[in-house]
Amino acid sequence: MADSERDDDQVPPDVRLSGITKRFGDVVANDGVDLTLEKGSVHALLGENGSGKTTLMSVLYGLYDQDDGDIFVRGERQEFDSPRDAMDAGIGMIHQHFQLVEPMTVLQNIVLGHEPTERGLVDIESARADVEAITDRYGFDVDEYLDVPVRDLDVGVQQRVEIVKSLYRGAEILVLDEPTAVLTPQEVEGLFDVMAELTASGHSLIFITHKLDEALTAAEDITVLRDGEVAGTVDAAGATEQELARLMVGREIDFDRKPRETAIGDPVLGVADLHVSGDRGLEQVSGVDFTVREGEILGIAGVQGNGQTELVEALTGLRPVESGTVSFDGEDITGTSRRDRIEQGIAYIPEDRQEEGIVMDYDMIRNSLLGFQTTQPYVERGVVDWAAVRDHAEGIVEEYDVQPPDATTEAASLSGGNQQKFVVGREIEHDPTVMVASHPTRGVDIGSIEFIHDRLLELRDAGLAVAFVSSKLEEVQKLSDRIAVMYEGEFVDIVDPEAVTEEDLGLLMTGADPGSSTDQSAAKRSWSDGGTPAGDRGDES
Amino acid sequence: MSGAGSNRTRAVLDRIAARLLDASVGERIAIAAASMTLALLIGLVVVAFAGYDPVQFLGNVAVGAFGDANALARTLKFTTLFILTGVAVAIAFRAGVFNIGVQGQFVVGGFATVIAILQLAPFLPTGATGGVLLMVLGTVAGVIAGGAYGALPGILKAYGDANEIVTTIMLNFIATGAVGYLVDGPFRGEGNRAPNTARIPEYVSLPRVVFDVPDFSVVGLAVTLVVVAAIAWVLARTRFGYDMVTSGHQIAAATFSGVNAKRTVVATMTLSGMVAGIAGALFAIMIQGYYSDPAGIGTYGFDAIAVSLLAANNPLGVVPAGFLFGALDSAGSHIRINSDVPVQLIDGIIGLVVLFVAVPELFRMAAERTGLGGEN
Repeated sequence: MADSERDDDQVPPDVRLSGITKRFGDVVANDGVDLTLEKGSVHALLGENGSGKTTLMSVLYGLYDQDDGDIFVRGERQEFDSPRDAMDAGIGMIHQHFQLVEPMTVLQNIVLGHEPTERGLVDIESARADVEAITDRYGFDVDEYLDVPVRDLDVGVQQRVEIVKSLYRGAEILVLDEPTAVLTPQEVEGLFDVMAELTASGHSLIFITHKLDEALTAAEDITVLRDGEVAGTVDAAGATEQELARLMVGREIDFDRKPRETAIGDPVLGVADLHVSGDRGLEQVSGVDFTVREGEILGIAGVQGNGQTELVEALTGLRPVESGTVSFDGEDITGTSRRDRIEQGIAYIPEDRQEEGIVMDYDMIRNSLLGFQTTQPYVERGVVDWAAVRDHAEGIVEEYDVQPPDATTEAASLSGGNQQKFVVGREIEHDPTVMVASHPTRGVDIGSIEFIHDRLLELRDAGLAVAFVSSKLEEVQKLSDRIAVMYEGEFVDIVDPEAVTEEDLGLLMTGADPGSSTDQSAAKRSWSDGGTPAGDRGDES
Repeated sequence: MSGAGSNRTRAVLDRIAARLLDASVGERIAIAAASMTLALLIGLVVVAFAGYDPVQFLGNVAVGAFGDANALARTLKFTTLFILTGVAVAIAFRAGVFNIGVQGQFVVGGFATVIAILQLAPFLPTGATGGVLLMVLGTVAGVIAGGAYGALPGILKAYGDANEIVTTIMLNFIATGAVGYLVDGPFRGEGNRAPNTARIPEYVSLPRVVFDVPDFSVVGLAVTLVVVAAIAWVLARTRFGYDMVTSGHQIAAATFSGVNAKRTVVATMTLSGMVAGIAGALFAIMIQGYYSDPAGIGTYGFDAIAVSLLAANNPLGVVPAGFLFGALDSAGSHIRINSDVPVQLIDGIIGLVVLFVAVPELFRMAAERTGLGGEN
């Protein structure tokens, strides 16, 4: 028992990582990382993209061999050569990208590879009983889906199927890799309930996230990674978002609203009685009216899928409207093309940067031409001047702090935050009159979020009309001059961010009327009284 | 399938994919050369087992492809066709459109060239001036016809949501059938026993420089290389090329940037068909001098898919890839006549070489698409 560590009477922690170091060539992804997961608890692993969270968990799960350090599971030192070894030790991993076979049913997916057999045949009924026992015990409502193909399920349910699959295989220690990234706010609540059930029954969870409020809400202990090292391990009960943000980024982060410096001017962008259909031909935007003025930011809040995507695409010329008008500078532009609107001065930070905003296989030089195909001097008479484009790209990379600072880098190898900074920078370089942004900080690390917020506020101060969609309440309240709340294709209300509470916004987003019952003053949480704002409740990816 | 096993397999695949993706151009050429050697060695073993002399077979391959001026001219003749049809395929692939209909566009273009020359010849002077004029006009007719025949599935895809793979394959049959009917019926040359059009006039032919053979002219090769250079330039240096290639990578990103996706699909297919039309015109003017039943002419438009794959859909890469295919075809036709090795065996060995050379590139493409080997 030389390798065990039972030096006192206490129950050993379920997992103890000691001095884990992992290098990839010259890059140190993990540098002497310690982490202790107590039995029956949730331990959040917090860090920006690229801080080494996933690498650390891959070491624990047997996907990588550590260069240095030890793994102890329930006090026993372990050598994991493969995930199979980790599974045998009771460790299960819920990957960000689900490992499910889409055409197969939930039950088939759960038992896959561990099917109970009866004389060589799969005994699906005994499997069903086992799975139902698990789902009943933890209150997962997946019973009704057992015979439904996985591809027909919502992402939230698919995630629960993944968890049940791990439990079915006997996992007692679960690693959840950014599980909230793909979920709606309601689904996140549901996931936290499930996590509470699991810990109550003695399971231990490692919860990877880069969202401060989630770590504070769901975990008992929080370990913050920065640049592959432990920046700090704190008790969630006594921690604040400010403290965690400082650990994550290594400096103070400003959560407060910035005072505006210019007056609001004339209306620039407007829509009247706009109706827009979605991809399936169903009406997604049902009669929206608004204007955005110079030097003003209109925030459009709402739970995703309430027509925001279609609205933004109608504004930017990517989607035809069914009826109603879009106007720009007093001119009706309803029927004009995307190209026309770019040239007129409507820039757009798209919702899905990796699909729309950048071409992943291109370097940043080629990416910097995206949207500038008719702009001189980059293109003249249909011929591209690549030297000019290169200067353009290098300018964006430098001014918008894109890392690594090399325009010949392929976009796919940049982190999400740096990709987004590039997209934001490139769109600002259009020198537009209107900036439309869709989830401008989704899936972006906290340092880049602050950077992007500052840029949007600068645009406001420079007199641009800005309209942006977000499902993060904190962001909407921090940036907006007015907040429009969108629900089922309509604006249920346009409110003043100074006067509205986050609770009321939450209610508006679900279509409820908060004015009738809530005591405004009691529910209000001021931004200026020193309290920390409750963080982003939004869905992210 | 166990989780651990699949993870290990994945790790191995990842490593191989990463290595393939990292390979430099020089390494890729070396891989192709090694693959070809290996395929030939295996082919020779098969030849020996079939009871023929492998050394003699190998000699025949070399002689058939490069043995004398005639052999080299034959190799270059096939090469020009493979290059042009290969570029036609590559253009579409780069834009993310699968033009399997190059054969049909090639046939329609060649037929249009012959008909245009035959119809216009009476109105133009004979001799060199008339010849050049007729060749230019005939080629223009071939380019227009090929382009239109390519535009058709492009329009069907863009505005009718019809899968271009299916429509182009079907249009190949229609082209072969329709042209076959026309050369047999309305356009059959007077007194022809075979279903062929009349011959185009003698003076409508490319000059015999360097090689004194009736069916290849270096002018044809020069035109081919100019077309390659022009297409490479369009793809790399023009807004149109950027829009097209961006559409091929990520259609949503192209749309975001103001590219009209539907129009780009039609333009891509048209350009692809136009290049196939040039190949058809060259085939009609330089090689045949008339048009025959397309069921009997070579399947250059199909082989072009392999040529383009081998070149990783790079128009410049199509030149060496086309040359390899040209040499193999040339060697094959030589061996067919000059040895008793059965034709099936020759074709099999050519197929083996193509397979061996193309597979590493195919894996590279697959690795890029699947994201294997992406990390680190």
